[in-house]
Amino acid sequence: MARAAVWLGHLVIVGAAAAAAVFAVALLSGSSPAVHVALPRFFPFAAMSLAVDGLSAFFLLVIALVTAAAGVYGPSYLGAHARGPAVQTLALGAFVASMALVCCAGDLFTFLLAWEGMTLASWTLVVSDTRSEENARAGLLYLVMAHAGTAALLVAFLALAERAGGFDFPAVRAAARGLDGPTRTALFMLALAGFGAKAGVVPLHVWLPKAHPAAPSHVSALMSGVMLKVAAYGIFRFGFDLLAPAGGPLPASWGWTVLLLGTASAVIGVLLALQQHDLKRLLAFHSVENVGIILIGAGLAMLLAGGRGPAALATLALAAALLHTLNHAAFKGLLFLGAGSVLARSGLRNMEELGGLARHMPWTAWLFLLGAVAISALPPLNGFVSEWMTFQALLLGGVRLGGASGLLAGVAASMLALTGGLAAACFAKAFGVTFLGRPRTAHAEHATESPAPMIAGMLLLAAACVALGLAPGWAMRLLDRPTAELLVGAASAAVTARGPLVLSAGDAAAGAGPTEISVTLAAALLALLAGLAALLRRGRRDAPRRLAPTWTCGMTPTARFDYTGTAFAKPLRLIFAALYRPRREIVKETGPSPYVVRRLAYTGEVVDLAETLLYARVKRWVTATSHGIRAYSTGRIHGYIAFVLVTLVVSLLLFANG
Amino acid sequence: MTVELATRLIDVLGGLLLFTMLLILAAGQVFRAIYAVAAQAAFLGVAGAVLAAATGNVDLWVIAGITVVAKAVLLPWLLIRVVRRVRIAREIEPVIPVHLTLTIAAGIVVLAFHLNASLGPVRQAITGNALPVGVTLILIGVLVMASRRKALVQMVGLFASENGIFFTAMAVSQGMPLIIEIGVILDVVLGALVMGILVLRVRSSVDADIADLESLRG
Amino acid sequence: METTLTHVARTAAQAALLVAAAPLVTGLVQKLKARLQCRRGASVWQPYRDLAKLLRKGTVEADTASPFFRAVPVLVLAATVATTAMLPVLWAPAQPAAVPLGDAILLVALLALARFLLAVGALDAGGAFGGMGASREMTVGLLVEPALMLTVFSVAVSAGTTEVGLLAARRAPLALSWAAPDLLALFAMLILALAETGRIPVDNPDTHLELTMLHEGMLLEHSGPGLACIALATQVKQLVTLTLVAALFLPVGLASDSSPASLAIALGAFAAKVLALAGFLGLVESSYAKLRFFRVPHFLGLGLVCAFLALALRVL
Repeated sequence: MARAAVWLGHLVIVGAAAAAAVFAVALLSGSSPAVHVALPRFFPFAAMSLAVDGLSAFFLLVIALVTAAAGVYGPSYLGAHARGPAVQTLALGAFVASMALVCCAGDLFTFLLAWEGMTLASWTLVVSDTRSEENARAGLLYLVMAHAGTAALLVAFLALAERAGGFDFPAVRAAARGLDGPTRTALFMLALAGFGAKAGVVPLHVWLPKAHPAAPSHVSALMSGVMLKVAAYGIFRFGFDLLAPAGGPLPASWGWTVLLLGTASAVIGVLLALQQHDLKRLLAFHSVENVGIILIGAGLAMLLAGGRGPAALATLALAAALLHTLNHAAFKGLLFLGAGSVLARSGLRNMEELGGLARHMPWTAWLFLLGAVAISALPPLNGFVSEWMTFQALLLGGVRLGGASGLLAGVAASMLALTGGLAAACFAKAFGVTFLGRPRTAHAEHATESPAPMIAGMLLLAAACVALGLAPGWAMRLLDRPTAELLVGAASAAVTARGPLVLSAGDAAAGAGPTEISVTLAAALLALLAGLAALLRRGRRDAPRRLAPTWTCGMTPTARFDYTGTAFAKPLRLIFAALYRPRREIVKETGPSPYVVRRLAYTGEVVDLAETLLYARVKRWVTATSHGIRAYSTGRIHGYIAFVLVTLVVSLLLFANG
Repeated sequence: MTVELATRLIDVLGGLLLFTMLLILAAGQVFRAIYAVAAQAAFLGVAGAVLAAATGNVDLWVIAGITVVAKAVLLPWLLIRVVRRVRIAREIEPVIPVHLTLTIAAGIVVLAFHLNASLGPVRQAITGNALPVGVTLILIGVLVMASRRKALVQMVGLFASENGIFFTAMAVSQGMPLIIEIGVILDVVLGALVMGILVLRVRSSVDADIADLESLRG
Repeated sequence: METTLTHVARTAAQAALLVAAAPLVTGLVQKLKARLQCRRGASVWQPYRDLAKLLRKGTVEADTASPFFRAVPVLVLAATVATTAMLPVLWAPAQPAAVPLGDAILLVALLALARFLLAVGALDAGGAFGGMGASREMTVGLLVEPALMLTVFSVAVSAGTTEVGLLAARRAPLALSWAAPDLLALFAMLILALAETGRIPVDNPDTHLELTMLHEGMLLEHSGPGLACIALATQVKQLVTLTLVAALFLPVGLASDSSPASLAIALGAFAAKVLALAGFLGLVESSYAKLRFFRVPHFLGLGLVCAFLALALRVL
C-alpha cells in the first residue's frame, strides 16, 4: 500500500516535471509574451503573483530535467532504503514545487516565501534519510547558514520594497532605477551574500558538502544539481534585471567581485573535492566548483554588459554561464544518481572500501564514466561546450577590457584550465577506485546491478549530457530569450552563426575572425579514428591471447595492491600543502625486533581553510559573547521583562530622534 | 640602425632580462643563479650596444663594454671562485618558498607595468617598455636579497638590482654621464670583493656562514 | 578560394604526415641522445620496427581488467590522432575553415581526454605501478594546463582567435620579429613542451620499472597491439606538441596554395622546425638530470610565471 503511494507520488512528480518542461520549452522557443498570473490575496499586506519570463522558463527547464530523472529513479531507491518513504515523497514534492515557485515568483514576497519553503523541505529530506548524529549536525549547520543567507536577503528585499512601495517586480525594477551608486552596490552585495550562501560560494560553502550527501541520493542530485542553480537564478535576476541601472554599464565592482568569487570557488571547490573519499561528499564539493564556473561567466558578463564591451561578447559570457547551469544539472544529477546506485547496492559511500564494481554493475559504471568525462570538461560531451564558451568569452572579453580587467580575465581562464585538470584527476580517481581494480570488501564484491527504473533515471540524464554536447546549437536557441531579456543580444546570434552544429565565437568589431569548433564533427572524427584504431588493435588473428595476474613484482596480487584514493591524491596533497594543511599519523606496531612490523595504521586528514580560519573564529567569538551574556541571565522572569522594557524604551528614543 | 628596429630590439632584450631574472629567482643551485645573472649582464651589454648604435652616443659603447667585461665576466668568475673555495652547500636556501617568491615577482611585474601606464609622458618612443622592465628588475633584485639566506646569493640579487638601474638609465635617458656609470660599476666590484673576502674570512676563521650572523643579536 | 573538399584533403594529408613522421621524430631524438653520449645508437627507423613487432605479437591481459581496459588503447590513439587534424603543418588557411576543427582549446582538451582515459585504464589492472603512474601523470597534466592556457591566451590576444591555423596565418607576416611577450611565452611553451612530451627533467621515457616513471608506469599492463597503439599515440602527441610550438611561434614557410614550389618550401620549413625542436628535447635530456617528482611543480611554476608575464606584458 505504502509502496503504491510512493510510486504514485513519484509518478505525479514526473508528470508535473514533464508538463513544466514542455511549457518551458514552448515559452523559450516561441515569442509569446511572458506569462503573468495574479495569485489570490492570502496576506493583506502583499499581493502575490507569478511571472514567467525567459529566464524563469530556462531555470524551470533545469529543474524539470533533473526532477524527471530523480522521479523515475526515486521509488526503487527508496524501496531499498525504506525509512519513511511516504514522508520523503511528500517532502520531495514540496521541495521541487517550491524551487519552481522561486523561479516563477513575480514579486519579492512570493520569492521569499518559496525560498524558505525550499529550505525547509530540503532540510526535512536531509535529516530524515538516516537518523545519525552526523546528519543531525549537518542539518543544523544547513539551517543556520541558510537562514544567515535569508537574513541578508531579507534586508535587501525590505529596503527595495520600501523604496518601491510594494513587492511587485516591475515596481521594484522601477524603484531600483533611481538608486544612487553606493546604495545599489550595497543592495547587490547583500543579495549576493544571501544567494551565495545557498549556492555554496567560497567561503560560504561549508554546509554544502555536509548537507548534500546526507539526503537520499536522488534528492542530493536535486540539491546539488538544481537547488544551487535556483540560488544562481537569484544572482542573475538581481544582478542583471532587478538591480541593474537603466541603460549604462553595471558597476565594475560587481563584475570583479563575482568573477573573483567564481574563480576562488572553482579552484578551492575542486581542490577540496580531490581529497574526499566519500563518493557523495566528493560530488558535493564539485558543485562548489561548478557554481564557481557559472559565476565566472556571470561576472564576465557583468563586466562587459551595458556598453563596456560589445553586446555580442557579453551575450557570449552570459550564454556560457546559463548553458553551464543546464549542463551541470545534467551531469551532476547523473553522477549523484550513479553514486546513489552504488550506495543502494553495496551500502557503502567510502570509495576506499569499494572497487571492482564495473564487473557487476556495468550500467552504473559506464554511465558514471560518461558523467565523469562530462564534468571534467572533456570533449565531446556537454561540460566541454560550456567551458569552451567561457574560455572564448574570457579571451575575447579580456582583449576588449584590457588593463587590469583583461589580466584578471586571463588569470580566470588559467584557473579555469587548472580546475578542468583537477576535475579530471579527481574523477580518474573517483571512477577508477570505485569501479575498477579488485573489490576491497565483501560488500563491494557482492554488489549487483540496480533495478531498471534507477538505470532509466540515469539514462535520461546521460542522454541529456550527450545531446547537449553533440548538438549545442539547439540549447543555444533556448537561451535566446533569457539573454535577450537580461542583455540585448540573442545567444544563438552570438554563438551559432554557422548553423546549429558549429559553435563560433568572435569579436567582429575588433577585426578578429571568429574561432569555430564543431563538437559534432570532433565526435565523428573520434568515432572514425577509433574504428581505424580498433582494426590496428585487433592485431594478427592467430596471435595468442592469455590472461595472467597483474604484475606486482612477483607477489600474488591482492586487493591491497590496488592504488587507493588517498594514495592517488597524495602528490596534490603535498603540492598544495599550504591550502590543505595535511595532518597524518602513522602508528607502527612492531614485533620482537623493530624490523618486524606487525601492523601499520595510517590516519590522515586535510582541513578546509575556510572552516579553520573563518568559522572556528566566528564560533569562538559567538561562544565567548554568549558566555558574557550568561552573566546577565539570572533565570528570573522579572529580569527578562525588564530587559524587554529597556529595549523598547531605547528603540523608541532612537526612532523618535531619527 | 633605425629607431624602430632599436625599439623592437630593446623590447625583446627587456623580455630576456625579465626571463633571466625569473631564472635567478627559480634557481635551485648557487651556480645556476650566478650563470643567470651573468647572462643578464650580457643581455644588458647588448642593449647598451643597440642603444649606442641607434643614438650614436659614444659613451654608451664604453658603458656596454664595461658592463660586459665587469659584470658578465669578471664578477661571475669571482663569485664562482668564492663558491668553489668555501665549499658551501650548493643549494640555495630560501627564507620563503620559491613558488611564493615567484608569485610575489609576478605581482611586482603587474605593479610596475600598472604604474608605468600612469607615467605616460616619461615613456619615450625609443624606450618602449624599458622603464617598467627596469623597475621590475630593481624590485625583484631586492626581493632576491630579502628572500635568500646565503650571502652570495644576496650578492647576485644586488647585481641584478644594479642591472635594473643600468637598464632604466640607459633606456630612459640614454645613460648617465660616463663617469657616474664607471663609478657605480667600480662600487659594485668593490662591494663584491668585500663581500667575497668577508665570506671567505668568516668561513675560514670561525667556520660559519654570513647567515649565522643573525645569531649574534642580543 | 579554398573549397571544403580541398580543405578536407589538406587536413587529411597533414594528419597522415604527422602520424607517419611521429615515430621518426622519436628515433631522431634517440639517435641524438646516443651520439651525445658517444654511442652509435639504434637506427632512426627503430621506432617503426618496434611498432611493427608489437603489432605482430600476442597479448597478455591482467585477469582483473574489465572490458574497458581493452578499449583504452583504441580510444587513446583515436583522441590523440584527432588532434593532428587541428594543426597547420604545411598549409595555413586565410579564413576560417569550412570544416571547423582547428581550435587550440579543443586540441588541448582532446589531449587531456587521452590522458584521462589512459589514467583510468591504468587503475583497472589493479597494480600499484599503474595507480602510481596514473596519479603522477594526472598531477603533471593538471599543472601544465593553466600555464598552457595562459600561453595560448597571450599569443591569441594578438590575433583574436584560438584557431591554430588562423593564428599561424595572421602571425606569419611578423614571422621571427618577436616582441618581449612572444619571447616569454616561447620560454614558457618550451618548458611545457618538455612536460607534455614526457621528457627529462619531468619524466624519463627510457625507464620502465623505476619509481621515477610517470607515463611508462601506466603502460605496464598493456601488451602487444594495445601497447603499439599507445606507443604510437605517445609519439604522435610528441610531434603534435612540437608542431603546436612551431605553429604558435615559428609560423614561417606555410604554404597558401598547392603549387609544388610552395609545398616543397613548406615541407622543408616544417622539417627544419621539428628538427630544431627535437634537437632541443634531446639536448635538454642529455644535459639535465631528472627532477625529483616534488620539484616538478617548481619547474612548471617557472613556466606558469613566464606565461603570466607574457600575458601581462600583452594586455597591460
